[in-house]
Amino acid sequence: MAESKWVEPDLSFVKQLKTLGGDTLKKCYQCATCSVVCPISPDEKPFPRKEMIAAQWGLKDRLVGNLDVWLCHQCQDCSTYCPRGARPGDVLNAVRSYSIAEYAWPSWLGKLVPDGRFWWLLLAIPVAIFLLLLSAIGHLHIPEGEIEFANFFPTLWVDIVFVPLATFWIPLTFGIGIYRFMNDIHKKAVADGKAKRKDLNIPDFLKSILCTLPTILRHSKFSQCTENKDRYVPHILVLFSFVGLFVVTNCFFVALYILQVPGPYSQMNPIKILANASAIALLVGAIWMISNRLKDRGENVGKGSYFDWSLLVLVLGLVVTGGLSELTRLAHLPALAYPMYFAHLVFVFCLFAYLPFSKLAHLVYRTLAMAYSRYSEREPCE
Amino acid sequence: MEKKLGVYICKGCGLGEALDIEKLEKKVPPKVKIRKVHPILCSPEGVDLIKNDMENEGVNTVVIAACSRRVLWDVFDFRPAITERVNLREGVVWSHKPREDAMPEEGPQVDEWIQEMAQDYLRMGIAGAEKIEPTEPYKPEEEINKRIMVMGGGVTGLSAALEVAKAGHEAVVIEKETKVGGFATKMRKQTPWAYPYEDLQEPVIEQIVKEAEANPKITIRTETEVARVFGAPGLYDVSFKAPGTESKWDIPAPVEAAEGAEAPPQPPGADEATPDNPANILAKDPEAERFGAIILATGWKPYELKKEAEEPAEAEGEAPKEAEGEAPKEEEPTYEHLGFGAIPDVVTNVAFEEMAGQGKILRLSDGKPAGSVAFVQCPGQGSDADFPYASSITSMVALKQAKYVREDNPDAKAYIFYQHMRTLGQNEYFYKSIQQDEGIFLTKGDVVSVSQNGDGLVLEANDTLLGENIKVAVDMVVLGTGMVPVTRDDPILNLAYRQGPGFKDLDLFDGYADSNFICFPYETRRTGIYVAGCVHRALGIQECREDATGAALKAIQCLESANRGVAVHPRSWDMTFPDFFFQRCTQCKRCTEECPFGALDDDEKGTPLTNPTRCRRCGICMGACPERIVNFSDYSIDSIGSMVKAIDVPEDDEEKLRVLILACENDAYPALDICGLNRLSYNAHVRIIPVRCLGSVNVVWIKDALSKGMDGILMVGCKFGDDYQCHFIKGSELADIRMDKIGEALVSLALEKERVQQIQIAIDEYDKLPGMIAEFMEVIHGVGPNPFKGF
Repeated sequence: MAESKWVEPDLSFVKQLKTLGGDTLKKCYQCATCSVVCPISPDEKPFPRKEMIAAQWGLKDRLVGNLDVWLCHQCQDCSTYCPRGARPGDVLNAVRSYSIAEYAWPSWLGKLVPDGRFWWLLLAIPVAIFLLLLSAIGHLHIPEGEIEFANFFPTLWVDIVFVPLATFWIPLTFGIGIYRFMNDIHKKAVADGKAKRKDLNIPDFLKSILCTLPTILRHSKFSQCTENKDRYVPHILVLFSFVGLFVVTNCFFVALYILQVPGPYSQMNPIKILANASAIALLVGAIWMISNRLKDRGENVGKGSYFDWSLLVLVLGLVVTGGLSELTRLAHLPALAYPMYFAHLVFVFCLFAYLPFSKLAHLVYRTLAMAYSRYSEREPCE
Repeated sequence: MEKKLGVYICKGCGLGEALDIEKLEKKVPPKVKIRKVHPILCSPEGVDLIKNDMENEGVNTVVIAACSRRVLWDVFDFRPAITERVNLREGVVWSHKPREDAMPEEGPQVDEWIQEMAQDYLRMGIAGAEKIEPTEPYKPEEEINKRIMVMGGGVTGLSAALEVAKAGHEAVVIEKETKVGGFATKMRKQTPWAYPYEDLQEPVIEQIVKEAEANPKITIRTETEVARVFGAPGLYDVSFKAPGTESKWDIPAPVEAAEGAEAPPQPPGADEATPDNPANILAKDPEAERFGAIILATGWKPYELKKEAEEPAEAEGEAPKEAEGEAPKEEEPTYEHLGFGAIPDVVTNVAFEEMAGQGKILRLSDGKPAGSVAFVQCPGQGSDADFPYASSITSMVALKQAKYVREDNPDAKAYIFYQHMRTLGQNEYFYKSIQQDEGIFLTKGDVVSVSQNGDGLVLEANDTLLGENIKVAVDMVVLGTGMVPVTRDDPILNLAYRQGPGFKDLDLFDGYADSNFICFPYETRRTGIYVAGCVHRALGIQECREDATGAALKAIQCLESANRGVAVHPRSWDMTFPDFFFQRCTQCKRCTEECPFGALDDDEKGTPLTNPTRCRRCGICMGACPERIVNFSDYSIDSIGSMVKAIDVPEDDEEKLRVLILACENDAYPALDICGLNRLSYNAHVRIIPVRCLGSVNVVWIKDALSKGMDGILMVGCKFGDDYQCHFIKGSELADIRMDKIGEALVSLALEKERVQQIQIAIDEYDKLPGMIAEFMEVIHGVGPNPFKGF
């Protein structure tokens, strides 16, 4: 008989999961219908039944760093079939939200970002920075003449904010989070007997990431969901539009600093076409996702918490302000175009600066978990 | 009474088409002058026809050849005239499909076999009716007392008393403690009984006590115990005493029959039986108080966990007592691995409830508040059985007490380790609401050990839902022990009955006061004594109150029935009672011994003493009597015997074998009727006679049938054994024993044992009956015709 393990429930952990959209977790009575109906759970040690009792017992160490929590794609098949309305899909989502904060560095930001009381503060930070910058360079007014955003906020100054954000802040903060995360899931997967491979070899792990990419790009896990299959298209739209915008941003960065071609660029420019197409896709995807969230699936399934909604609103804000900046610029409405651009910059800042602390962090954590699952041979490589 | 028979044959419901009614009428014996055929006998015209004959022709015994006696009995109610029904519809026409290839070439298209069946039944009905006597209800010389004694002053007892009082009767509550209220007064809270069934509720006991004490029809006697209950329903004489004291009216301990003894030994003191010698159970206490019926609500006591420190010598001291009874009890399990007895902070749920009722939950070891408590529902050790006498109430109590822990301290933790979480019915809502508490942790699991760990305790459990073996640190451990019905160890009632002071065969029910949950929840094997509450099964407070209502109404029904001279249950219309022809009694005591209800006592010579108000009219005494001296006015050795003899047994016809079916009228006979209703066909060579209970079948009827030349006898009755369905508890079982003995007698007469068989059936298995009958017919065909045919 295996050695008994100490178990010490953490009441505050239970309470926190409840605020993160897992309010029904205590309803579970362990029938394991969820594990049976889950289309993507592995055959051995399937989730989410065991995660549900761990959540009920407040066993934080069994959930934070649990690989399986990240393999879950919130299909909600489990929530739909749950005879007790315990919504395992939402509970695991709450655990992921909690985990993001748990791995976050600095940890105060990890607490601040998911806390609905401080949204204004998070917005106030970039607003303050930009206002300070603009007043320092004497640009705190709407420029005359042909609308050119660089006239209002010189590109150099924009990049003085964003380049360190992208090259220093994100790698540093997210790097620490990722390091903790990887160590944790590896340790726990080995301890729980989920990992067939007991070591952690970086080159092999990178190969596993490569083998995971097709799954992600094709959304082949999402496509296995039955209950939540209407999320498949919008999620793929949003993912690819972000990829498109990432490409666009890098191209224009190169154009500006290396090729020395400043904007605005022609609408017929292929990169510009990609940018506009991505923006439209992002807009459609964001609205679609929001409407999916609002859909009545019974028992409040998939309604999401502040943590989920803050990302949705951020993305929508990002694309709406971006699109309107362009449209008002083309419509020669400087009084609208410049403030819109300012707002857009605020949203972009938020997206970047809070990336490791917001729900968007799942982009990395889930990818790593899926890759680790293949690396540790819990799941086969496709 | 001079009998004047009238025979009335109905042609309705297909009888006229399937039978040759003209020919049937001719089979009525010539001495019966009044014989009439009517197209629809149950119509007003048909009923008027009979009433007219009764008025103008002096008909006082009516034989109706139409449908089953189980239907339209209100239409054919001609009391005080005797009515006998001949079941041609369900029993003949509806349950027998005519053989199309066997129709006569001329005359009415009637199957000969079916016609013969109808003719036999008509003859049998007339023969039986001739032997039936009118019934006079039994009226005791003394007036029936209408007060009800309630034993036990807990929730159930007081609720029963209140119900009795509300119905206008007087109740006397007997409680051995100094005050009433029972364990409920020690509780902190109650589990919910009203919508939304989620939150704990304040105990209602205080209010019940107040109401009972204020009710002028209720007398409460505390510090009182029953020494002796003498008499019968309506006429109970009860002697009281102070608890723990001895009284000269204490019932003498029963003496069990020695192995192999012919007759049971006399109880002590019976030799010197004088009416005032208390050692004789037939002696009556002149100072006793009279009651009409008794409600037993003495409840439960906590299951005593054996502590590891207990010396085995103590058990030895009790050994002789056990040896007196049946098999020695299984060894009581110990719970050393749970630390009970050794660790002060390991307590039972009862001790925990008392502590919670008095205030905060504190550790017994150091008086500190308990920050975490584990509730253990199953002692584990490789078995998933709960503690002895645990039930759904134990589960509910664990959930409730977990809530206490949380009420006392918002940071406290309560763990429940169970193998079975039984929250029946609406209680599931309570379970759900308890689950919602963040600080209550539930898991199925096998608790391996509880041990001291520094200041606190550590509990280890295997095979938990958490997927591995776990241990938790707790301040206290509460063991979910069960509720033992007090009737397990004590007769309680102290009845002055020849069959003993308590209920019989309670080991079948682990000591719970016996009853048939589904059919007769409040009845016991002692008429006039009704059980309610936890003596009956583990119940919650609200369930006890409901149970009390049932028992109270039953007790009142008993008084009213006794007053009218009818049986209480289950033959609640029956005015007949067994009539003993004592001149021919041989004092064999078979009836006294076999009566499942202890209705018969006996005098010093062993002659039965009847107690008609205890009697259920099952006729088991009639079936038992080798001298055939026990009869009912409308159901006698002679009346059934005459019916058997009225069957026409063809001689030298290999095909037309005749089989007598004696069908219990509680399940088997209705099931046969249902076969008819569903047009299920069964063999047409059987002749069915309904009997009150297979236990009432006297062996002489079997002899009558065999000497008449019948080829086999099939007895169809209720299931017997541990989960019996017999309405008279022991009837079908006794019949089985008797038939086994008759089998031996048959063999000595060179008759095959297989000719007499007994089968068991429940009413819902009616569809199996045709097959079972066919199977028996095959057996009879196998052994061939009765060699005594024609003698």
